[in-house]
Amino acid sequence: MIETMELRSGVHLYACRDTRFKQGALSIQFVRPMKKEEAACNALLPAVLLRGTEEYPDLRSITLRLDDLYGASVSTLVRRVGDYQTTGLYCSFMEDKFALDGDEILKPMLEFVFALLLDPVMENGGFSESFVESEKKNLISTIEAEKNDKRVYAASQLLKNMCRGDSFGLPRLGEKEDVEKISARSLYAHYRTVLEESPVQIFYVGSADKETVAILLTKQFEKIKRTPQFLPPQTAFSGGEESHVTKVMDVAQAKLCMGFVTPITNRSEDFAAMQVMNTVFGGGMTSKLFMNVREKLSLCYSVGSFYYGTKGVMTVSAGIDDDKEQTARDEILAQLDACRKGNITPEELAAAKEAVLSSLRTVHDSPGAIEGYYATAALSGVTLDLKAYAEAVSAVSTENVAKVAKMLTYHSSFVLKGAGQ
Amino acid sequence: MTITQYPKLDEKVYATVLQNGLTVKVVSRPGFTRKMAYFVTDFGAIHTDFELEDKIYHAPAGIAHFLEHKMFELPGRDVSAEFAALGANVNAFTSYDMTAYHFTCSENFMESLRLLLEFVSTPYFPEESVQREMGIIDQEIGMNEDSPDTRVFEELMKCLYRQHPIRVPILGSRQSLRQITPELLTACHRAFYTPANMILCVVGDVNADEVAALANEVLGTERKPVGRKLRPWQEEMKAERYDCNGWMEVAMPMFQMAFKAEPAPKGAASIRAEIVGDLAAEALFGESSPLYLRLYEEGIIDSSFGGGFESVDDCAMLACGGDSYDATAIREAILERAAQLAEEGIEKADFLRMKRSAMGRRIRDLDSFDSMCFRICAYHFSGFDYFDFPAVYAQVRQEEVLEFLHRVVAKERCALSVIDPKEET
Repeated sequence: MIETMELRSGVHLYACRDTRFKQGALSIQFVRPMKKEEAACNALLPAVLLRGTEEYPDLRSITLRLDDLYGASVSTLVRRVGDYQTTGLYCSFMEDKFALDGDEILKPMLEFVFALLLDPVMENGGFSESFVESEKKNLISTIEAEKNDKRVYAASQLLKNMCRGDSFGLPRLGEKEDVEKISARSLYAHYRTVLEESPVQIFYVGSADKETVAILLTKQFEKIKRTPQFLPPQTAFSGGEESHVTKVMDVAQAKLCMGFVTPITNRSEDFAAMQVMNTVFGGGMTSKLFMNVREKLSLCYSVGSFYYGTKGVMTVSAGIDDDKEQTARDEILAQLDACRKGNITPEELAAAKEAVLSSLRTVHDSPGAIEGYYATAALSGVTLDLKAYAEAVSAVSTENVAKVAKMLTYHSSFVLKGAGQ
Repeated sequence: MTITQYPKLDEKVYATVLQNGLTVKVVSRPGFTRKMAYFVTDFGAIHTDFELEDKIYHAPAGIAHFLEHKMFELPGRDVSAEFAALGANVNAFTSYDMTAYHFTCSENFMESLRLLLEFVSTPYFPEESVQREMGIIDQEIGMNEDSPDTRVFEELMKCLYRQHPIRVPILGSRQSLRQITPELLTACHRAFYTPANMILCVVGDVNADEVAALANEVLGTERKPVGRKLRPWQEEMKAERYDCNGWMEVAMPMFQMAFKAEPAPKGAASIRAEIVGDLAAEALFGESSPLYLRLYEEGIIDSSFGGGFESVDDCAMLACGGDSYDATAIREAILERAAQLAEEGIEKADFLRMKRSAMGRRIRDLDSFDSMCFRICAYHFSGFDYFDFPAVYAQVRQEEVLEFLHRVVAKERCALSVIDPKEET
């Protein structure tokens, strides 16, 4: 089970002791407000930190160190959770018991991660110019590469247009023009603010006990002078001007994305019902969208819905033929209407509930899933008690599903179309 | 049922071969809620030519994947809905050399397993549903045509190989699909979906004897003949073409390149060949290599760069890819560095560190049920018990890695595939 501990003001450790795995996981997240002014900085920062430290001054010496630690990995961790953006590092490392000749991994690993966080290579009172410039280039290509996956691209364009004016309309990694503006000095100044002021969440999953990890971590945080600033609570998306956009690109298959708004977030009482509703409607191979729009009517190859619980937004994505756009749109709305009217078979309801429950039951079966679930839940203001959540899901009825379906409002759409022959 | 302990990995495996020829492996994972089963046939996209009961078949490209789609139909029943009702998540995939059907669940494991065994062993291909499936796969082909990652790889295979069917996309083409008939699907099913050509691999807190008994009950005890795969192709160890180019709506040019290697042998030698190939990739252009550092610092590669040794039935290659404005320079640098490495060798301490790191990553990977099942099945078909890998790491010598680099990383064995951005319209 998860144990929580405040190591210093604003620094929380969430520890899950588990001896079943081959590897441990540790994430360190500095929590920031999701804002246009700093989104790109928060995305860039961990990438620059991973370029070198005083003791390990380049990529090669870092990788060699990780090789020594039995192929451990450290990567950037930049999440968007509702109105917050996190910036930090995620690491996975083999459990000590599998090492040869009694080698230790956890302790040196933690020391190494904090060297990456706290001892960056410095130049003229800022980060290394060449590290920052090359990581800016990398970040810009990552941002632009979104276009390569047309499904992801269409979905993000929908949210961008639909949620203008809300933090949810901002792309997770910031925008190209904001990345371009960053300098080695400005990023360093931001880094000091992040270290000193942000609330910090640390997750550990592995065989060591909480106290051992806490002692190792506390020692590290003593090196930082902290004046923590607390963040305002999460807000729901309040809606705004609708947006219906069609964009032409050279694609073989068109993408249709539709956005819906609901006052229900994962902090609401009806959250479990909304999760079940989303699954009945568009989650997986037994959903109404899949069974009807794809299987029965062959209107699309792929179709599904996604519910963003932190914000109260639901989206539908479908890969369709160009000429079937209107029919697909109508049919998607017709399926939503069926949910609103409570036209849901007992099998549909049971399958949806079982799908949600099954994903909750298996959260504890991998270090990555444990970290992912609890780290996100803690930030979105959800209860960490999986059992209570599962009970709420079990209790959802057809009436509950119909009720929350009625609270959804169709808001915006985005279509990516081929140029035609 | 034999029980094997692997103390270095803290694993315990129950294994048996049933009378009908099916291999059953159960990796015991006490204390886990999640359970997973992989039911896999040693039959993939490249196995279009085969002989069954004295008859030779040349099936159209894409038939293995088509068959995978069609297996989900049972007369008068809805397989997906039945899995969903059990709370299990079912899926399948077709690779170049195998087809896997798998599910995960937390409850109702035995019921879900029965359903898996039933639907995969029941051929049912009504004419009109075969016709309808063509439309669905056309859409999937359309999706692949829009995916630069898929396109860049498929083009590379056409460049690198002259005859081996890895040249042909797993999905086949819109034209080849039109030649698929219920009769051909039935023939493929008879030839390769027979227990003696399959493996059932289960991971989780389950009873291995019950798993084997259920497989016996559903599949029957009769041992049926397996189709004989024909491999008429002959590949020289040189690339068919040096490079190829395409244009798509991508943000930045991307590339894949590969060096043709001799096909990996069967048995324990297969994983040894793969580990040697992987270590060669690591030494040559892995993240801790001097070459990676130089190209990264010069901005020629970025964090999207990666590669390794790939092995498919009767073909193998050392491949790498990523985003870059100058893939040709990467090729030159790799060729130059390989020659230098083969000449100068690797420091002893560096080689040990590389092995330790690679082995650590393989051990960590065992936390993923999916990846573990996949590897157990793939290595089973190559005749190797996957969990014996730590011993192979202990044996691999530096000379093998250098010999591989010297032999494989040569100009005439290399093909490069690039996709450039289209001009904005």
